[in-house]
Amino acid sequence: MSTPPVKLFRINTGSCNGCDVEFVATAFVDKFQISSMNVELVENVEESNLLVITGPLTSKSESFLKKYISKLKKPYAVVGVGTCSISCGIFRDSYSINGPIDKFIDVNVNVAGCPPRPESIAEGIAKGIKVLELKSEGEETPQKIEQILIGFEAPKKFRGRMSLNETICTACRTCETVCPSTAIKITKTQNGFIHNIWHNSCCYCGNCAFFCPTGAIYSTNNFDTVKLQNEKFSDLNTGIINLSTCSSCGESYMPPSSGLLGKAYIHNNLKKLNKSICSKCRKEENFKRMYA
Amino acid sequence: MSKQITIGPFHPELEESVYFKLEADENRVVTKVNVINGFIHRGMESLVTKKNFMQNLILTERVCSLCSNNHPFTYVLAAEKIAGVQIPLRAEALRVVADEVKRTASDLFNLSMLTHLAHEHDLMKDTLNTRELMQDLKESIWGNRMDMSVNQLTGVKYDLNDETVKTILDTATKVEERVLKLREDYNNSTSFKDKTVGVGVLPHKDALEIGVTGPVARGSGINNDVRVKAPYSLYAIRPELQPKVTLFEEGDVFARAMARFGDILEALRILKDVVSNLPDGKTYLEKRPHIPAGEAVVRTEAPRGELIYYLKTDGSQKPVRMRWKVPTFTNWEALKVMILGDKVDNVTMILNSIDPCISCTER
Amino acid sequence: MSIEEFNNAIKNKIPSGYELKEDQDSYGNSQAWITIREKKYALVVANAIKAFKGRCVVATAYKEQNSHVVIYHFDIDGVIINLQLKTNDSTIYSITPILKSADWAEREIREMYSVEPVGHPSNDRLFLDYGLAKGVLNEYISLSKMQMGVSDTDILWSKVKKEVKL
Repeated sequence: MSTPPVKLFRINTGSCNGCDVEFVATAFVDKFQISSMNVELVENVEESNLLVITGPLTSKSESFLKKYISKLKKPYAVVGVGTCSISCGIFRDSYSINGPIDKFIDVNVNVAGCPPRPESIAEGIAKGIKVLELKSEGEETPQKIEQILIGFEAPKKFRGRMSLNETICTACRTCETVCPSTAIKITKTQNGFIHNIWHNSCCYCGNCAFFCPTGAIYSTNNFDTVKLQNEKFSDLNTGIINLSTCSSCGESYMPPSSGLLGKAYIHNNLKKLNKSICSKCRKEENFKRMYA
Repeated sequence: MSKQITIGPFHPELEESVYFKLEADENRVVTKVNVINGFIHRGMESLVTKKNFMQNLILTERVCSLCSNNHPFTYVLAAEKIAGVQIPLRAEALRVVADEVKRTASDLFNLSMLTHLAHEHDLMKDTLNTRELMQDLKESIWGNRMDMSVNQLTGVKYDLNDETVKTILDTATKVEERVLKLREDYNNSTSFKDKTVGVGVLPHKDALEIGVTGPVARGSGINNDVRVKAPYSLYAIRPELQPKVTLFEEGDVFARAMARFGDILEALRILKDVVSNLPDGKTYLEKRPHIPAGEAVVRTEAPRGELIYYLKTDGSQKPVRMRWKVPTFTNWEALKVMILGDKVDNVTMILNSIDPCISCTER
Repeated sequence: MSIEEFNNAIKNKIPSGYELKEDQDSYGNSQAWITIREKKYALVVANAIKAFKGRCVVATAYKEQNSHVVIYHFDIDGVIINLQLKTNDSTIYSITPILKSADWAEREIREMYSVEPVGHPSNDRLFLDYGLAKGVLNEYISLSKMQMGVSDTDILWSKVKKEVKL
């Protein structure tokens, strides 16, 4: 093997240091497989051809980042590590944040996570190297690169990509309210709601799942968050929450979730409850039952 | 002839971005220190006032990922003080469990960075691999290697069962054995001692005047551990848990490293004790409190020292003002004392020896 | 040191008077809240803290209508003393010459609230980029973001919504 090593330089543009700490673990703990790649950490940005950038880009870092970018020699590849680097994540809309970094440099690979697992950071670097190889051969960055590193698993409880069970979601917007990084948006449509989780803004904290009254939103242990730049805005979980038609009056209504009903009707037999009618009709039915 | 030397702001030996402008003489001894800060300033004190109390559980955690448990911990203590709620005993215990796990992992990370910068590759690998045991533990119980998302108003978000208690005890025992061995190795390595003993000295008198806290203070013979001086949570309820602090008089890089070993071993003792004697009961109060108008000052001991929160509320869903001071905020000034008169090549190692948390400091 | 002892040390040195409150948390830790009517007596309190071998932990400021409230948080061997004062002219008397530990805290008040600690030994900015005007925390929403009229969140989410596949 005589190919020269890939020269990696890391830039922290204002991260909480989680990604940088985990980068160190990725670089020096053998099980994360970096040692199997032909990578070398360099001291000068001039020599580097693989940039790893973390953080949401603070205003003070901006001019220095630009200066460092101007010293790079082509071809080079850029890997953004951590949700902040992709969308500024939880720090977005602060007076001191000028990112995300792709405003100033062409990013090739994004590694979402808060912080990402070292396994994901390693995968991101592997994909960055792949992009660099293609660039050196004068080829374009592909639309998709398949998983490169294999054999990684996550524990059952790992808080990975969020998912939604549409059938028990009532679009109550609790998740939207408690999400610290505006990663969830619920939009009203004609016949219901659309529930979107944008994985590249998510800080994987599990707050939404913890506070969800019905258990509809939950974290999976899927840590496949290493994506190419062209997937930045489409890496979504979309849930469609439909309204039901009341069997009594024909109006559209949001059916109550079994979770909420269980809380509200502790002493009654839930099975007897007619769930196919709207709350207005149920009120009338109850009134008739009791007083008529 | 003095020479200008700059380090940073982006440099492989700097975990976080900071810009050193030094002057050194012909022997590469530092004669003037100027540090430019602010690269990690994210305007968080403004952000917290725009987010509600639930969102701030997580935003405070993202102040810094190394003390990521202490920030929400202290923040909820402040909110609970204003609301006047008493949380279940089991929740107090579970908060301390998470805290000591984080402390162990954080201190181990600092020691790995120290040995890395001292070019002690084998010691670094050993320390980092020991830390991995704690990382795996955190990931398997709390779901993330850095941010555990433990605290919530009136309690915690997680619970332990017999199986997870056993996992914690097993890991703690294993880590303890390895840490004892590591401490011996550090002490027996003449090359490591050559690089760290007598380097970056912070005399007792300066340490007092600057007001340093945490292992930096303990390395210079001062004990102001909040868990002992103003105990809170389970440390107040069960005083026997308070750490028996290890003090050193030398004030050098080596002494601070040894103070951290003392902290780790005490953290593991506390951890084992708490999980073996977990009180029964709820992990949080079913009824979420309303946070009325008020103000509170609360502090805890983070891995790097004293962490203090000021919270002011007006009865709405968001804080009016929240301010916090982290250990590095005061420890940073001590750097100038440590670096001045030392070699340029030691600068990043001395910086690391205060275990700087710049993201905490600059917010 | 008890809060009473500290009170005795400053009692006769603040002619315009002050209020002293004591609060205790559920774990039994006491704190003092001292509110002085004239801001210059912060120097008296700082000297007393120094005499007790205490330190300035940090200082907080916030805006209240047209004035600023500044709170210093001191520690004397585990007891927190909070000192509150008000300023109408955006200046305070710097206590850094007395307590070195107040250095950064006062500089931060300067750049975040544009309140000048008169007599502070340093003029350099601490964290705030020179591209930003000092006093950023005086505004509820920062000026620069307001001028844009639209937040980064809105911009990014409008791009996300174009990608939603139903």
